[in-house]
Amino acid sequence: MNFSGSILLVDDEAHIRKFISLLLRHLGIAKIFEAKNGKEALEVYQRESPDLVMLDVNMPVMDGIETLRALKQLNPDAVIVMLTSLANRQTIDEAVALGAANYIRKDAPPEDIGRALAETIDACFESEDEEPPAP
Amino acid sequence: MINPSIDLKGRRILAVDDDRINLRIIGGILRHEGYEISEAASGEQALDLYSSFQPNLVLLDVMMPGIDGFTTCRTLKKTYGDKCAPVIFVTAKSEADDVVMGFDAGGVDYLTKPFRPKEVVARIRTHLSNQQLVEQQKLLVNQLSKANADKDRFLGMCAHDLRNPLSSIRGLAELMDEDAVGVLTTEQHEIIQTIHGASQSMLQLVNELLDVATIEGGHLKLEKYPTSITEIVERSVHLSNMEAAKKDSKVEMLRLDGDPMVDVDRNKMRQVVDNVISNAIKYSPKGSVVTVAIHADGGVAGFAVKDEGPGIPENERHMLFKDFGRLSAKPTGGEKSTGLGLAICRKIVEAHKGTIVVNNLPAGGAEFVVSVPLFK
Repeated sequence: MNFSGSILLVDDEAHIRKFISLLLRHLGIAKIFEAKNGKEALEVYQRESPDLVMLDVNMPVMDGIETLRALKQLNPDAVIVMLTSLANRQTIDEAVALGAANYIRKDAPPEDIGRALAETIDACFESEDEEPPAP
Repeated sequence: MINPSIDLKGRRILAVDDDRINLRIIGGILRHEGYEISEAASGEQALDLYSSFQPNLVLLDVMMPGIDGFTTCRTLKKTYGDKCAPVIFVTAKSEADDVVMGFDAGGVDYLTKPFRPKEVVARIRTHLSNQQLVEQQKLLVNQLSKANADKDRFLGMCAHDLRNPLSSIRGLAELMDEDAVGVLTTEQHEIIQTIHGASQSMLQLVNELLDVATIEGGHLKLEKYPTSITEIVERSVHLSNMEAAKKDSKVEMLRLDGDPMVDVDRNKMRQVVDNVISNAIKYSPKGSVVTVAIHADGGVAGFAVKDEGPGIPENERHMLFKDFGRLSAKPTGGEKSTGLGLAICRKIVEAHKGTIVVNNLPAGGAEFVVSVPLFK
């Protein structure tokens, strides 16, 4: 995957963070930040300005949809991919309406997750005329 | 049908007759049996009393001043519907016409005057017992369907909560196997592959249980779009060939000239195609060729999957599409089977108003044919 930017991974379950972050590293993404709920995610986002956010839907403290709204308020251009376990059409539609770039089933095999992420990155970073994220 | 052990004491009977002597006689017989009796001297009074007394049975005289017995019965049936207590007509005349009219009005039986106490007691006992059995059965059915719904919900919750951890285990094992955290020794690879395989088959079982719970719970919601059946099958054939290659088998696809469109939930339909093809690979010997042919004819379109397996024994055919309907045939490459896959396929296909059938081929092997209505 041709992506040299940074990713903020938000999920309340430690094993999911472990799995997805290892997968991201394996895909060659070096800069990965983690947060375990929406509140933490906002703090990290403001501090680190990651290029892409992978955001779990069901979380305590502050759920994915609420966090998505807050992130979009901070930065309307934020690239946010929702992480879902069951494809819940309603939630996905809501997230897309709020500006989510894509959704990824986190219970999919690593290959599928990687492919979906690559598609999003291609669509959000390479098709634009602006310069790609700084290496 | 009549269970003498059923306790009917205290059951309420509404006796309706304009003749006080008759009421006294029948009241005496029935009170002696332990029933609770309420008496009405006319149809109008009976209709009034019915709602406060809530009888389990009504004894209704036919010939009365004011509204007669048949009209009273019709009114009761109309007012209380299925919940109305059984009505037994009491008539001095025993002409067949009268009796038939009584049944038309909604009566279940009739008694002729003068009464023979034993007959009265036996018939009333029969109807009260029947009614009690029906009530018990309704209660039981309600309890069972609630228990079943609870089971589905529990199963769904359970499966749902198991999925994420299982997919993490599977994913982490797969990544380790690809040396994502450093080069592993041969033995470490074997171990991590075992973890991967075990979590993979557990995840499949959990997913299938969740499917069953979703479908059985009436929560299967189809998101239908006009879809090329060829496209769906193509993708599945491509992926299945990777599985097949592990057994030196292959999956070949036969297309049509046209591109038939069907109105389906793509994910669900993919699941059906994947499942039927993977079964064909699973139960065919190593080095087999599985053929997948697209068909479209007579308002339906779909696909047919031919394998080189042992076919479906006639005596096991009825189990094939049932939950946990594992047959005697075993996967030829050590693959796993939950016995739920085809049951889920059938439910998905039927939710699309389609059909899934199996034929044994003369040359050996089985052919699964899935058809759904063409998109118009």
